[in-house]
Amino acid sequence: MSKSKKKTEHSWTGPALELRNLSLRFDGHSALDNLTLTVDPGLSVAVVGPNGAGKSTLFNVLAGILSPGSGEVRIHGHLPAQHLCLAYVAQSSHVDWTFPVSVEEVVMMGRVGLLGLFRQPTRKDWDFVRESLSRVHLEDLGRRQISELSGGQKQRMFIARALAQEADPILLDEPLAGLDIPSQDQILNILDDLKRRGITVLFATHDLELASRFDRILLLNRRLIAFGDRDEVLTTNNLTEAYGGTMQVIETPEGRIMIGDSGGHHGHEPVGRHG
Amino acid sequence: MDMNPWGAMVDWLLEPLAFEFMQRGLLIAAVVGIICALVGCYIVLRGMAFLGDALAHAILPGLAVGYLVSAGDRGTLFWWALGTAVVTSVGIGALSRGVRIKQDTAIGIVFAGMFALGIALISTVRNYAVDLTHFLFGNVLGVTRADLWLTAGVGVAVLVIIFFFYKEFLVLSFDPTLVTTLRLPARTLEVLLSILMAVAIVVSLQTVGVALVVALLVTPAAAASLVTKNLRSMMFLASVIAAGSGVIGLYASYYLNVASGAAIVLTCTFFFILIWFGKSVMRKVKGLPVNN
Repeated sequence: MSKSKKKTEHSWTGPALELRNLSLRFDGHSALDNLTLTVDPGLSVAVVGPNGAGKSTLFNVLAGILSPGSGEVRIHGHLPAQHLCLAYVAQSSHVDWTFPVSVEEVVMMGRVGLLGLFRQPTRKDWDFVRESLSRVHLEDLGRRQISELSGGQKQRMFIARALAQEADPILLDEPLAGLDIPSQDQILNILDDLKRRGITVLFATHDLELASRFDRILLLNRRLIAFGDRDEVLTTNNLTEAYGGTMQVIETPEGRIMIGDSGGHHGHEPVGRHG
Repeated sequence: MDMNPWGAMVDWLLEPLAFEFMQRGLLIAAVVGIICALVGCYIVLRGMAFLGDALAHAILPGLAVGYLVSAGDRGTLFWWALGTAVVTSVGIGALSRGVRIKQDTAIGIVFAGMFALGIALISTVRNYAVDLTHFLFGNVLGVTRADLWLTAGVGVAVLVIIFFFYKEFLVLSFDPTLVTTLRLPARTLEVLLSILMAVAIVVSLQTVGVALVVALLVTPAAAASLVTKNLRSMMFLASVIAAGSGVIGLYASYYLNVASGAAIVLTCTFFFILIWFGKSVMRKVKGLPVNN
């Protein structure tokens, strides 16, 4: 069974990701409304939108964790369930950090699908794991228990796991949340490295300034507001449409400042600046 | 008799072994301990202790039916209990998926309902109290040679399954999301793990019984988890603690004349407290916070 999955041929000439009329409803209200878009291989895409815009829901559908209510998802031309080359780096709070595994064991988990049932990892697989760890600069921490890592190191470990999986596309859900600036920069450098290697990346974030570093921006609020490069997407009209009453755009001598209420309980907080 | 303390010690250890039922009891207590410890590691890591306890209680009607149709033949009882455990664990999953019921609520409903059904069935037999006691608290001294072989065979099967599915079970326990994105057969793995849990519960009926089996599943694994950093060493240490507790508990039961199942479980609990306390002291010495 797993053998046939492994051999699933990629159509690398076609889009990495294709959504056609994708919709999903939870409890009678719409979570994703009629999304249609294509992402070419090798592009890095920032997925932005207010809280509850459906960023995580979209990732869950792409990963095959949620099935779409209607419409279709294609990954390299295949349905999500047929594919094992997609990696999902979810928000890191979802695992038990006291779990008795080492960093390199977690990274090896990425290769479990490629290995298939009844096969144990070989020396080559472990080499691949070490190579993935050095790509994210964790080569010296492979034998640590996972609770000994800092927040940024934990995120990097999951990116290494995606690399060990030989994944494309890689979905990252708010990977910088709660990290200090140096840790954020390290992860952004790793993203640049992924880009050089031609790996398709989808990156969910609240930070519009950060989003403008990416090849494409997907502005989402249940439905697709805009998808394109930053100049096409980060317009006053689009942002007002996405953030509605919670978003204010102010022109100042320093540039355009966008003020948004992303949490609802913090009052107004700046979400980014675009000059 | 000489006054050599070592000689006295050896005599003390050898005396119970003169009885064949004690030899069989010690062997089965050790083997059951190892099976429960291995499966228990997954139960502890996945936080399924309540499900394990419920499953143990829910097999009582299966035992009762097996008991009624076979007049107490152990082999028949084993298969009835195993069948009930598998049906129940799959049933709990289906109940919590199908309708809007939280899993712990579904477990509670199935657990109590099945347990009551079991007691009702057994109570139709005259003189049921003795047999019910054996189901609830185990009867390690009534173990036959056939029981021993069956349990050893089950133990080997559990070891082989855990060996072959080690990496898949590791992913399932650590990160269920990854099971989906790696396109592993999640449902099949869940069912297989439930069957292992059912098997562990059924073999431990002989030593500790329905009421205490959860301790054998959870306590050695939890104790081992306090001082190990990877799953393999956790499984190894849990097995040593559980097998050791089986043997020590049975000796305690022989010399102190207490119920064997209770003695085994209390020994496990003692080891857990010892390790927990030792770890707390070590952390104090190193100046680390205790709860981390």
